[in-house]
Amino acid sequence: MICCKECIELLYSYLEGELSAENETSLEDHFADCPPCIAFVNTYRSTTLLCKNTLKTNDIPDTVKIKLKEFVDKNKPDVL
Amino acid sequence: MEFPDPTKGTLTEEQLVKDLQAGEMGSFEQLANLYQKKIYTLSFNLTRNISDSQDVTQEVLLILFRKGHTFQGKSAFSSWVYRITINASYMKLRSRKKEPKVSIEDVLPAFNQGGFQYEKIQDWSENTESLLFGNETRNIIQKAVDLLPDKEKVVFILRDVEGLSSNKVGNILEISIPAVKSRLHRARLFLRKKLSNYFWEYKARKERK
Repeated sequence: MICCKECIELLYSYLEGELSAENETSLEDHFADCPPCIAFVNTYRSTTLLCKNTLKTNDIPDTVKIKLKEFVDKNKPDVL
Repeated sequence: MEFPDPTKGTLTEEQLVKDLQAGEMGSFEQLANLYQKKIYTLSFNLTRNISDSQDVTQEVLLILFRKGHTFQGKSAFSSWVYRITINASYMKLRSRKKEPKVSIEDVLPAFNQGGFQYEKIQDWSENTESLLFGNETRNIIQKAVDLLPDKEKVVFILRDVEGLSSNKVGNILEISIPAVKSRLHRARLFLRKKLSNYFWEYKARKERK
């Protein structure tokens, strides 16, 4: 049976669906006996989701939007 | 009632790029509209500074306006835009005072001889909903990402935040796909640990109240 260290090394490929059938079975056998590793997988997944949701919402502030519009109007090449 | 077709009157990215290569000047404004949010948010996630990100967005738009016609089309146009945005953001960071970085090795999981983790692992994944939109959580997440070493940070932002494929990220950064995967995994492990510490403290604080 694989240990927690090996389990965490395989985690990325497991979540990407890139593991061989054999490795996937070994990993799932490990999860069945190791609640801390299940907690680890759950929090690893949540980390990605939380960070994505947080950083994705960084929109351009309105003051910057206005300045960028002015910049584009001033610098865009002239239409011939 | 008919809704206006949002695609009407706007060119596709592919057509815009063709126009740009052909020196068609009329498409520049649309190009700026299409790309400025991508450029700004990527730069902001790398520099975490509004003024720097505005500068970077202007610099990149200027490059697109002036040198867009020289784009060779060897890789996707968006990859080219991402690459010059990253380089311009790094230039900004270089001109700033360096802050001490945390070693990623100190934060990666540690194991005993039997291969068991030293960390006592709590599952906080079920309890994130109520915290997600809190300002405190938001700040903690941004700070944790800011602490990532540059190599891991840029991969994490392009892959997990922007949602680009490993292939495309490898192409933009000119690194192999296994390197993309390994850096992303390390970044996620680092962030998971940082967030675990935060949720652990948050829980303890709540229980004390």
